[in-house]
Amino acid sequence: MNEFLQALIDGVALGAQYALIVLGFVVIFRATGIINFAQGALVLLGAYLTYNAHVTWGLNFYLSILISMVLVAAVGVLIQRSILQLTFRETGGVGAGLLAWAIAQYAEIESWPAFGIGIAAGIVAWLLLWGIERRSSASKYNELPIFGAVMVTIGLLFALKQLVASVWGFAELTMQDPWVLSNLNVGDLSISHAKLWTIGLAIVGLGIFFVFDRFTKIGIAMRAVHFDQEAAVAQGIPTGLVFGVAWGIAGAVAGLAGATAGAGVAQLTPQLDLVVFLAFPAIILGGFDSPGGAVVGGVIIGVVQNLVKVYQLEAWGVGFDRVGIFIVMILVLMVRPYGLFGTPEVRRV
Amino acid sequence: MAVLTRRRNHRMVVDYADDLRLFGTPWKRVGLVVLVGLYLFVPVLFADLTFSWLPDIAQTAVQAFFNLNTLAYVGVFAIGAIGLNLLTGYTGQISLGHAVFLGVGAYTAAYVGNTYSWPMILWLPAATLAGFLVGAAIGPFALRLRGLYLVVVTLGLVFVGDHIFRNWESVTAGNTGVSTTAAEPVLGPLDFTGLELFGHEFTTEQSMFWLIWFFVALTALLVKNIVRTRPGRALQAIRERDLAAEIIGVDLSRYKIMAFAISSGIASLAGALYGALQLFVSPVDFALLVSIQFIAIIIIGGLGTVYGSIIGALLIGGLPRIIDELSRSQDLPGVGGDVGGVDGLISVSSLNQIIFGLAIAAVLLIESRGVAALWERSKLYFRTWPFTQ
Repeated sequence: MNEFLQALIDGVALGAQYALIVLGFVVIFRATGIINFAQGALVLLGAYLTYNAHVTWGLNFYLSILISMVLVAAVGVLIQRSILQLTFRETGGVGAGLLAWAIAQYAEIESWPAFGIGIAAGIVAWLLLWGIERRSSASKYNELPIFGAVMVTIGLLFALKQLVASVWGFAELTMQDPWVLSNLNVGDLSISHAKLWTIGLAIVGLGIFFVFDRFTKIGIAMRAVHFDQEAAVAQGIPTGLVFGVAWGIAGAVAGLAGATAGAGVAQLTPQLDLVVFLAFPAIILGGFDSPGGAVVGGVIIGVVQNLVKVYQLEAWGVGFDRVGIFIVMILVLMVRPYGLFGTPEVRRV
Repeated sequence: MAVLTRRRNHRMVVDYADDLRLFGTPWKRVGLVVLVGLYLFVPVLFADLTFSWLPDIAQTAVQAFFNLNTLAYVGVFAIGAIGLNLLTGYTGQISLGHAVFLGVGAYTAAYVGNTYSWPMILWLPAATLAGFLVGAAIGPFALRLRGLYLVVVTLGLVFVGDHIFRNWESVTAGNTGVSTTAAEPVLGPLDFTGLELFGHEFTTEQSMFWLIWFFVALTALLVKNIVRTRPGRALQAIRERDLAAEIIGVDLSRYKIMAFAISSGIASLAGALYGALQLFVSPVDFALLVSIQFIAIIIIGGLGTVYGSIIGALLIGGLPRIIDELSRSQDLPGVGGDVGGVDGLISVSSLNQIIFGLAIAAVLLIESRGVAALWERSKLYFRTWPFTQ
């Protein structure tokens, strides 16, 4: 019985992490209709930025999580604006900025001036391209099909992951969070503080999102865009802003998920983005467009994964828990092709 | 009518047979001759060509790309990509599980080679058949699922496949991998580990090039024949709108399963050849990354075109080799070593993956229908000249 309870609680903690990751997917899917595979890279970035703020800069751990959330959100918005929105000047500006930064880094200029040079070069390039576009009215809007946009995010996953690995290296790092190896003992159960904090932070994060989604104007606009994009535009809803906000939220959530995934007994390596692929069954279970489903799906998958891990037969092989959740997903899909909470697609003939 | 048939433009289609022609225009016939010529003479020509007249950097790049070993791997990629294009490009069923079928083919070939020492005339069909059957078994799952849900289920397939490859030790030898040397590429008197023809002895690389690109041509012809006839039109109808296809009488389940089975069979063929080329396969060779590479190949090359798959394979298969060789020999600034952060900003493999990722994004942003669309567009430009816009 204790074994079962232990697995259950650990599963809920894992599920909370999944729920955060899934929420990032769902927010973007609801607004833009694409699965953002780059979410994995954002989670990875979140973990490493938290590490950087906490260990390298010596800041308070909780403050580090906040900083990482803000920075990853900024990266998310930047990706959306510069790459997926396909505004020529923004792409060019970001590209030139990154290039200048890399060159300055390589020329062994101190890191902060190099950063400044990058930003300055980006702004200059942006203004230049803006001027050219104004002159020639060459602003071309190339509409990407959904599948193409998904592929672009896969490309970004590779690029961003390797950038992170290049900056922080492939070696295992320790987050040095305040939760390491400390446990809460209740009877025979021992629950690590990292897991409790994960659950707590996930509840806070998800709670803020649900309040935002339901009661703020932009949250309602997001739902309107999801419901019918053309009608939303006709009502004067700025879709560009909505998309940007969606990516921002996804980035912030990814930052939080990354921080919790890298904390505790876990070591920080560039392989951390794998956790995102394991969250896919949770997305499917909850349904792509349901934030509430994200939470339920995440927790179910987390619990199932841990129960399988504890109770599987040895003959099924090491790591069967990771396969088990996909099998559960396939079984659910055979019965309900749109997940437990997803909106069935109405098909008119 | 007589006048019409005598003097008509070669692009004009007057009956069904015209529409079906594979090499309808004179230029296409010239192209065919050129391709056959390249196929026959590239291994002989490239064997001792050093491109020494090129500038240093270009020489390294050209040598890395026009290298028979690289081209043989490109051929394997091309076979798999043609199979995936049948499923994704023509039928519209996006699959992230393609690598698993490569694995099925490679492990089947290794197993029958090691256990029963079957000759190539048996192990190659056996591997293809295994992939065909597994694909046919997976196909029904795709009947109920559409779009992104299918993407995620096939993603799950990669994890399941990886688990099986790592744990079914009696067949796959687990994590360490299995040697495929027992499945010899020997076809009767033709030994492709070192061909002897007309008193000439050829190297393994030359022989494998001929073997693999023969199968590239074969699968290209097979898929082309499928898509230009009745089944192919049914598949494309499913891609455009499955509901409408069903109403005009296309048997959805039959054709979807057929597409899955044939596509996986071709992937397994590619996998078996991959094993013969590499002599050793392990679960790492069939990871998610490989599936994504195949998707990238057909998207960059062009969805729904056979030649696009081959162009895509040339780009995705060749680019990493060029970057690899360049960064090793030329000492590119900031790039160093195999491990990042040791003596440079970035490691070779990291740089490779960054460029791979950015290349996918860039091609899609420039022309979202791939290189094939660029080609079609430029053809259209010249055909309609001077009335082009």
